[in-house]
Amino acid sequence: MSRIFKYAFVIFWTLFVLAPLSWALVTSFKTPAAVNQGATFIPWVQFDPTLDGWKDILGISGYANLIPNMINSMIITFFASLISVTLGGLAAYGLSRFRYGWKYYGNSDIIFFFIAQRILPPVVLAIPFFLLLKNLRLLDTHLGLILVLTSGLMPIVVWLMVDFFNQIPREIDEMAMLEGCNPLQAFRRAILPLSKPGIAISAIFAVIFGWNDLFFALVLTFTEVKTLPAAVVALNGTVTPFWTLAASAIFSILPLIGFVFVVERYLAKGGFSGAVR
Amino acid sequence: MASVTFSNIGQSYDLSPDESTWALRPIDVEFKSGLTYGLVGPSGSGKTTMLNLISGIVKPTQGQIYFDETDVTKMSIAQRNVAQVFQFPTIYKQMTVFGNLAFPLSCRKWSKNKIKDRVESIADQIGLGETLGKSANKLRADEKQLVSLGRGLVRDDVTALLMDEPLTVIDPQYKAELRRKIKKIVAGKGITIIYVTHDQYEAMTFADEILVMNVGSVVQRGQPEELFERPNSRYVGNFIGSPAMNFIRGVVDQGQVSIAGQRLEVSTSVTTLGGAEIEVGIRPEYVPVMEAQGPNVITAEHISVSDMGSTRVLNCKIGDDIIRAKILRDQPVPKLGPIYLHLPSEKLLVYQDGEIV
Amino acid sequence: MSLELKDLGITDGTDMILEGITYTFEPGRVYVLMGRTLSGKTSLMRTIAGLLDFTDGDMYFNGEDFDVLPTWKRSTSMVYQQFINYPNRTVLGNVLFPLLRSGLSKAEAKAKALEMIDKVGLSSFADRKPGQLSGGQQQRVAIARALIRNSNILLLDEPLMNLDYKLREQLREDFRELFTTSKDSVTIYATTEPAEALLVGDELLVMHEGRIIQSGVPAEVFENPNSVTVAQIVNEPPMSVLTAEISNGTFSIGHRMKSQIPAHLVGLPDGDYQAGFRASELTIGSEGDMKEEGEVDVAEVAGSETLIYLNTPTGYTIVQEEGIHQYISGDKLGITIPPERAFLFDLSGNLVVAPGN
Repeated sequence: MSRIFKYAFVIFWTLFVLAPLSWALVTSFKTPAAVNQGATFIPWVQFDPTLDGWKDILGISGYANLIPNMINSMIITFFASLISVTLGGLAAYGLSRFRYGWKYYGNSDIIFFFIAQRILPPVVLAIPFFLLLKNLRLLDTHLGLILVLTSGLMPIVVWLMVDFFNQIPREIDEMAMLEGCNPLQAFRRAILPLSKPGIAISAIFAVIFGWNDLFFALVLTFTEVKTLPAAVVALNGTVTPFWTLAASAIFSILPLIGFVFVVERYLAKGGFSGAVR
Repeated sequence: MASVTFSNIGQSYDLSPDESTWALRPIDVEFKSGLTYGLVGPSGSGKTTMLNLISGIVKPTQGQIYFDETDVTKMSIAQRNVAQVFQFPTIYKQMTVFGNLAFPLSCRKWSKNKIKDRVESIADQIGLGETLGKSANKLRADEKQLVSLGRGLVRDDVTALLMDEPLTVIDPQYKAELRRKIKKIVAGKGITIIYVTHDQYEAMTFADEILVMNVGSVVQRGQPEELFERPNSRYVGNFIGSPAMNFIRGVVDQGQVSIAGQRLEVSTSVTTLGGAEIEVGIRPEYVPVMEAQGPNVITAEHISVSDMGSTRVLNCKIGDDIIRAKILRDQPVPKLGPIYLHLPSEKLLVYQDGEIV
Repeated sequence: MSLELKDLGITDGTDMILEGITYTFEPGRVYVLMGRTLSGKTSLMRTIAGLLDFTDGDMYFNGEDFDVLPTWKRSTSMVYQQFINYPNRTVLGNVLFPLLRSGLSKAEAKAKALEMIDKVGLSSFADRKPGQLSGGQQQRVAIARALIRNSNILLLDEPLMNLDYKLREQLREDFRELFTTSKDSVTIYATTEPAEALLVGDELLVMHEGRIIQSGVPAEVFENPNSVTVAQIVNEPPMSVLTAEISNGTFSIGHRMKSQIPAHLVGLPDGDYQAGFRASELTIGSEGDMKEEGEVDVAEVAGSETLIYLNTPTGYTIVQEEGIHQYISGDKLGITIPPERAFLFDLSGNLVVAPGN
């Protein structure tokens, strides 16, 4: 009996979550006539699908072209996440394994320092960042936005990964060093293969936050490197028909869905059983 | 306290009709009220299943469980009112030691004064009287485990106390101490205790009676002495005692046992085993070194000595088999080479296909 | 290829972790470190491995300063108490790992690894991950990994501590054979168990509070512990140490029991002493000159022996009786003390006379 309830709830929840998405997906293939018809869901049966909405955003109809924005977003998200996960991961490993500090301040204070970067709301940081990039002549460049995003993503990665590395027995590093690996080799050969789930989680967070960043993109980039969220927002601001908006929404989440599917298989790999009794 | 009786209880997790694959093959067992039982066996032997059947975590595939005369087969875990100590200390971290010990009583709506008296007396018994005000989370693992035990003991009406490998997560250096402490605490309380472990050492120390389990059935049941003196299988003989029992291959010929061509008197009747291959089993403790040949004295080749501290073990070869003899430290150590070993007939047991004859 | 420690010490603030360690370890021999928890065994091993920095003294290997080499250049192998293996690699992958940088070809390395896996008795498990193995098997993997490199120094930090006693018994026997294969390495083995020390050790170093307080051939140290502390460490169960007195031609224990002065104590000056007795040399029963009545505190079975802990008017006494017997806490028992087996210590704990063997 309780089982039926569980399944019923799961099915209900799935529909609840998928409904808006499927609505957007279906709408993106509709003609104006079909949209005005009222609620219809099944293509070919209830309405005749068309690619007009998609043509509008892919530059085919000449209305708008989101592909360059997509490429900008990919470049910026990829590098910002890569730098965050690489440097953040190394920093986290160091913070988990070695002791740093000065006087009373130790590793936990350094970790707090990292996470404290996230306390200030982005609005407060906008002007300093703007001036900083302006002086460095990095406004409206890929590199500028990558650096700014990295400063926001890295704390999350460090914070997640320190906790993760702390769960890996220290003896594994020691053992690798006893077996002839220097500390960096020990990290690469022995610890890194064990860290896949942690890296996957951090990467997912970094990519999602990076991809969805709108605020800094709006403030720090203008025409040359407009990112996808900024472009979609710009579309919203004009009199764009909403079948085209629906297409742009679906278009902008496709890479994320793809990424999560690829990374997901590293997530559930079962822990460290057999490392230490 | 109550007795616990299994009547034709069997447990299968995959509902296979073949009983030989069951986690616990159909069995009748009685645990008498007030005694301590050790369930010992390797993982997968069915000992934890047996425990879970008693506590009610698992419902049996077939058969009935009785507490005294009451059929509890269908009762819920709470109704059965058993106390359990798990592998990992189960404490309420946010509470003090006092709060932890008082918890089962306050759930039962005991009066404040009664709870205080009871908790204080139990805390003294488990040796944590001084730490009552401390946060339970600050204790060492072995002390936490004592708190878990204490929570089982404060309830004066539990039917049985179940312990599931309670020493598993304790640091080895505190293990022996905790084992002795638990033994002292429960001694003479008249509690029915069922103690599950894979460690023979622990079982032998704790239990009035031991049930040795292997692949879903009880292979031998008895007091520690019985298991030591008369293991009914090779398995039990190896399992209990240190070093393990000696098993030497031999044959029965015309009603006489011989090993490596040397005749032996045994107290078991072997007349029905004409020509059969057998093994004779004897504990290393019962193999004295002799000066000369005599009845039931065999010649073996003494190949090495293992110094165990208070005792020494002589490793000897007879035919292709090894026979070990244990001597006390103050006894002289015989030279390597040929040696006479006495195998007293009353201590010799005969085994065929791993089972006692 | 010897390892030389000169006045080695570690201080951490005001804590003295190791102090004045001067010792030379020769290759091809097994050195056993014995001592209680926190006596410095693990710290000494970690210092030798380069995982811990020392603050005083010098360390040389093969005549050259060892301190300048980082861990990964020292050619040391270590086996931990916990069974440490790479969880994501198979047994074969684990044993291969140390060979990755050895310059062997893939095929050679694999053949060598498989040979070692066979030697530790895991050939049928080569493709399993450590998580799928039992504790004893996991520790064998760790040992295979440590042995395969033929390191200059092999460190084993209580490798059997987390195993059941049956497995300990078995692996202990295996060790003697495994270690003989590493003739060129210094093998250092930490343990708290006298039987292990006596079985595997060529030399025994007793550690206490960060110092080596006695060293020598294991049996020699066992027979002639130079102090009460050493006697307690190398005897398991610990010796019972009772007050003793020699005056006017009589030897008395606890100012109660009197006997003639036993032969090995003749000629000592009158005065107060402490007398230590091994548990295996005290007996249950009331015979002879020195008998004492005690109350059983707790009794436990250890392998094939029963250990009885007693409160007596003279002091806390531990008796080891051969065979398996049942005693209940509170039982009254007579024990017999053999004065001729007394280890005599002066009041500050230094050995005066050992009874010899």
